[in-house]
Amino acid sequence: MRVEYINPFVESSVSVISEVLGIDVERKEISLRSKAVPVLDIAVIVGLVGQVEGRVIFDMDKKTVLNIVSKMNEEEISDFDELAKATITELGNMITGRAVTKLSEMGYKFDVTPPAIFTGNNMQISDVKMEALVVPIETSLGRIEINVALREK
Amino acid sequence: MDKKVPIGLKDDGTKYKVLIIDDSSFVIKQLTQILLSESFEIIDTAADGDIGLEKYKEHHPKIDLITLDITMPNQDGLTTLEKIIEYNKDAKVIMISALGKEDLVKKALMIGAKNYIIKPLDRAKVLDRIHSAIIGVNK
Ligand SMILES: [Mg+2]
Repeated sequence: MRVEYINPFVESSVSVISEVLGIDVERKEISLRSKAVPVLDIAVIVGLVGQVEGRVIFDMDKKTVLNIVSKMNEEEISDFDELAKATITELGNMITGRAVTKLSEMGYKFDVTPPAIFTGNNMQISDVKMEALVVPIETSLGRIEINVALREK
Repeated sequence: MDKKVPIGLKDDGTKYKVLIIDDSSFVIKQLTQILLSESFEIIDTAADGDIGLEKYKEHHPKIDLITLDITMPNQDGLTTLEKIIEYNKDAKVIMISALGKEDLVKKALMIGAKNYIIKPLDRAKVLDRIHSAIIGVNK
């Protein structure tokens, strides 16, 4: 997987999160993971199809997700309910949308599929053969791992 | 001083009626709050393009405006837009998407969308685009 693919995702994560949540965001070191599976409690997954295929995972612990969705809804959300799911998947959708827009300006053509959500209990993702690049984003609301696995067709 | 008239009100004092089509209940909630604050009426909502088209046909011609998401399950926004315009070429549709790809925006406007809003949503921007779509100005 080419490293240049991940930068638009990291940049749009930083910009969308700081815009939507009004908080500072710090980008941590990139690392390579041989198995492309999420490791934390809750994972928002957005599929990418077209010239390049793969998916982006936004991997977070439950506390971070509740902090983020509470802020986005301007109300305290203490259960991982339907609204919490809809809110965090939409955050993943907005980040991915902006990244794909950037990548299309760079000449890469692909589309996104509607976001899906996985939680600890059903965290079985079958694309284990793909390598993933992971960039953690540190915020005052918690840490988000951006996990990108793509391959050219 | 004159009190500003909410942009969701027609000249005769009745409300503009909006159909929201979006697969995210978070976005529906956000749009509803913005629109209600300006006295629009949400006539109905739909979580995908198939249901959206059905609801449009059901409520048409009472609907003044449709907001239409692009990335949705079952039937995406562009296909839905084509079908809505095919059903009523004068339908006022505003695309609301996280995707801002130029070819996509162009295609939506070519099919007949009145305007295109890129998420994350900004209240002022949303109201401005909706207002210009209603009064027939392209921005
Ligand atoms: Mg959507």
